[in-house]
Amino acid sequence: MFVGTEQLTHVYMPGTPFSTKALRDISFSFQKGEFALIIGPSGSGKSTLIQHLNGLLRPTSGRVIFEGKNIGRDKRDLLHLRRRIGLVFQMPEEQFFSETVFDEIAFAPRNQGFAENEVKIRVDEALEKTGLKGLDLKGRHPFQLSAGQKRLVAVAAVLSVNPEVLILDEPTVALDNTGRDNLFDLLTELNREEGLTVIISTHHLDEAAALASSVLVLKQGELVMSGPAEDIFSERDQLYNLGLALPPVNEIMHGIFEKGFSVNTSVYTLKEARREINKLIRRDKP
Amino acid sequence: MTRSITLGQYIPGESVIHHLNPRLKIVILVLVLVLLFLLETYSGLIFALALAVALFVLAGIPFSYLLRGLRPIFYIALFALIIYFFFTSGGVVLFRIGFLTVESEGVEQGLFIVARLVALVLFSLLVTLTTTPLSLTHGIGFFMKPLRYVGLPTEEVAMIMTVALRFIPTLMEESQRLMRAQLARGADFETGSIFRRARSMVPLIVPLFVSAFRRADELALAMEARGFRIGAKRTRMHQDVILFRDWAVLFFVLALIVLALNINI
Repeated sequence: MFVGTEQLTHVYMPGTPFSTKALRDISFSFQKGEFALIIGPSGSGKSTLIQHLNGLLRPTSGRVIFEGKNIGRDKRDLLHLRRRIGLVFQMPEEQFFSETVFDEIAFAPRNQGFAENEVKIRVDEALEKTGLKGLDLKGRHPFQLSAGQKRLVAVAAVLSVNPEVLILDEPTVALDNTGRDNLFDLLTELNREEGLTVIISTHHLDEAAALASSVLVLKQGELVMSGPAEDIFSERDQLYNLGLALPPVNEIMHGIFEKGFSVNTSVYTLKEARREINKLIRRDKP
Repeated sequence: MTRSITLGQYIPGESVIHHLNPRLKIVILVLVLVLLFLLETYSGLIFALALAVALFVLAGIPFSYLLRGLRPIFYIALFALIIYFFFTSGGVVLFRIGFLTVESEGVEQGLFIVARLVALVLFSLLVTLTTTPLSLTHGIGFFMKPLRYVGLPTEEVAMIMTVALRFIPTLMEESQRLMRAQLARGADFETGSIFRRARSMVPLIVPLFVSAFRRADELALAMEARGFRIGAKRTRMHQDVILFRDWAVLFFVLALIVLALNINI
């Protein structure tokens, strides 16, 4: 098991009248190099689950596992763990506090104790990976950037310690289409070319569905479905009942299928859909 | 995502005490506090303490909350006891430690003061535990109203208090979230010298201020958009009505106080 949990249960404010069970009995595992999705409506426990994976929250019972080992309590271990498992929070640009983009991205490597010349190299690498290098943002104030750029800087601020696992909590919230496309291009590249394990939580499937290899579906703190992406997405009715819609492209393919044409319904990108439809048209021509 | 964070100390419940009108609750609390200072006998105080505990049971508040509420006064009580035990003379000498003597008068007075202190805290605690901070502010706002005649904008002050209360849990949740977010980036808030630790707060304080100001702007706009004007008369969604049973409770308490004072004297 690379990243996963065993019978993880989390209770907020235990022992008080306000105690709420945020997660119950969650077990799953992701392999190295996967592109994993955690989906579910808001309030289903996605953020809580994610924050367990790098030791920010402690399980009330059960275990969180990384590379086959239980995540411990030791502070040095946790610091090391957080270097290997990077976590981008929801609306990460709200955490910005530095006066320059450079300092913002340098925060994590500096905390990890890298020498200043090493920090510079890391920042440059992170800017390059996120495609921000050519924009000469280093000296700019982070608040001056566009929403999409801010989001990318926030991702760069986590990438700057070269994590092996990148976790993003609702990464597309409050982004426009261009911002979303840029972000997903980046994530695809990191996953496919750098072999980064990527874990995303989201409540709508649009772009993420095409990339996913594994999927967890949460509902009110319980793991209701989990498995390979194809298996999960083929359970269209069950997803519907959970209040989750498949990506629009996929919905269209299902629509075509229901009209009596035989097309492959497990299609998530426009490109694939076009190919499928072209095939259909060619086939139907006399 | 929104998790209830204990604001003030309110514990939700459906007891008579929870449902008592907040304004009357404040009046009754003040009366009871005055009574506690008028009581001069042990029996009176013990009765008051027993009453307080009985009311906690009636309100369905776990015993642990009662103890937790008393924790802040533990040292004050201990200090008072020591002072009274050793430095009040009179009565029989109970025992001696070196040149210090503990005399019966001192023990009696010390215990009496501490019992009164505990009773004061318990009754106040009962009110804060069973009243939402919002109704408490409204209640206090009501009693501040006369101050309007000396030029204090009481409606606005009450509004400010309400808004502040409303945003405490939000900001607390946000600061926790920020703390975890920066921890994920390897921040360290605990080790190092005091200066280092103060510096390590910057990644928390700056974003917290930024968002607090943003929220304040948004709230001001939203309030104006819904017709909020300074000095205008406001109506409330939950009208503060004093019911017959509220009056009944008040008269019951008054009768009890009169009774207590008569037995006492």
